[in-house]
Amino acid sequence: MIAAIGLLLGVLLGLVLQPEVPIWLEPYLPIAVVAALDAVFGALRAFLDGIFDDKVFVVSFVSNVLIAALIVYLGDKLGVGGQLSTGVIVVLGIRIFSNVAAIRRHIFHA
Amino acid sequence: MGLLNYITATSLDADYAHVSQRRGSDRSVRRTSPGTVGLVVLAIFGVLVATAAVQTSRTADESASSRESLVKQVNARKAVLARQQTTRLGLTREVAALQNSKLDATNQGQSLLIRLDGLGLSAARVPVTGEGIRVVVDDAPGATSDKQTVLDQDLQKLVNGLWLVGAEAISINGHRLTNLTAIREAGSAITVNFKSLNRPYTVSAIGNKNQMAAKLLDTEGGRTWLTLRASFGLRFDVNSEDSMTLPAGPVPALRFARQPERLK
Repeated sequence: MIAAIGLLLGVLLGLVLQPEVPIWLEPYLPIAVVAALDAVFGALRAFLDGIFDDKVFVVSFVSNVLIAALIVYLGDKLGVGGQLSTGVIVVLGIRIFSNVAAIRRHIFHA
Repeated sequence: MGLLNYITATSLDADYAHVSQRRGSDRSVRRTSPGTVGLVVLAIFGVLVATAAVQTSRTADESASSRESLVKQVNARKAVLARQQTTRLGLTREVAALQNSKLDATNQGQSLLIRLDGLGLSAARVPVTGEGIRVVVDDAPGATSDKQTVLDQDLQKLVNGLWLVGAEAISINGHRLTNLTAIREAGSAITVNFKSLNRPYTVSAIGNKNQMAAKLLDTEGGRTWLTLRASFGLRFDVNSEDSMTLPAGPVPALRFARQPERLK
């Protein structure tokens, strides 16, 4: 419940304020969102497994976002930004899928 | 497959399991549902998602509208260019007519006019008509290799041969050759006066129609083409014409060359 409220609050805040993203940050925003999505689905699965922990969630969220952005930044500097973003998205995508599969098993018991 | 299996197996951060193990059975120490910190982090996540979405839609709008405005600008400029070219053509004709009428009025002017006409003919500034020969060249039927196709060098040799045997004006596929014309390969097409040509290539040369064809075969260009025809099957037909008209060449835009100070 509290999670849903937080999410809703954040989305509304973002839509109302529409913060201006600095140009240098723009390429890392989408990848940061995907990384955050992975952390959120991981947290949801942990919650359903009964092993959720606030601290772990915060740490995994922040580190996911930072590391994803850092990898893409490094890739940009090395001239392989596109390929590295693809790699990061593939890995995060697979994680999200398997986490969602676990969540599905919890909810539908199937 | 090891990597994929690893990613699937560890899709849940191992930390959750670690912490819950360390916590053991003592469940009261920590809550297993999100608290205030979780709420804040989820709010941050929401802001991130909303910002990314807003940003993406904004950029999409911008790029679409900027492309549209560019297309509009290009079209408007094209229309302006077409109008100005029509104006220029009209003005050029007017200038020529005025020049002719002024020069016609005096004796000196008339001699100047004759000289101007001669210069115009040799500088390919005016259309010319007269007898000459027409050389049609083309790739070999079903050409596969470079050797069986007409290259820019082949056309250059042919044209040089024609100049050598006394051609007074030459055009290729209706493009008049001037002293600033380049015949060159651009991509897969041959360009003359920066216009791409289509096969077959018709080279029209004004000059003595009875002598030029025979003499041409004695030049290096003619001999090259005889070899090309015999060895690789390229088309090389020479016909004489009683009368043909070649168009004027493009007006050269001289950006660096200018007239020296007149000697007094």
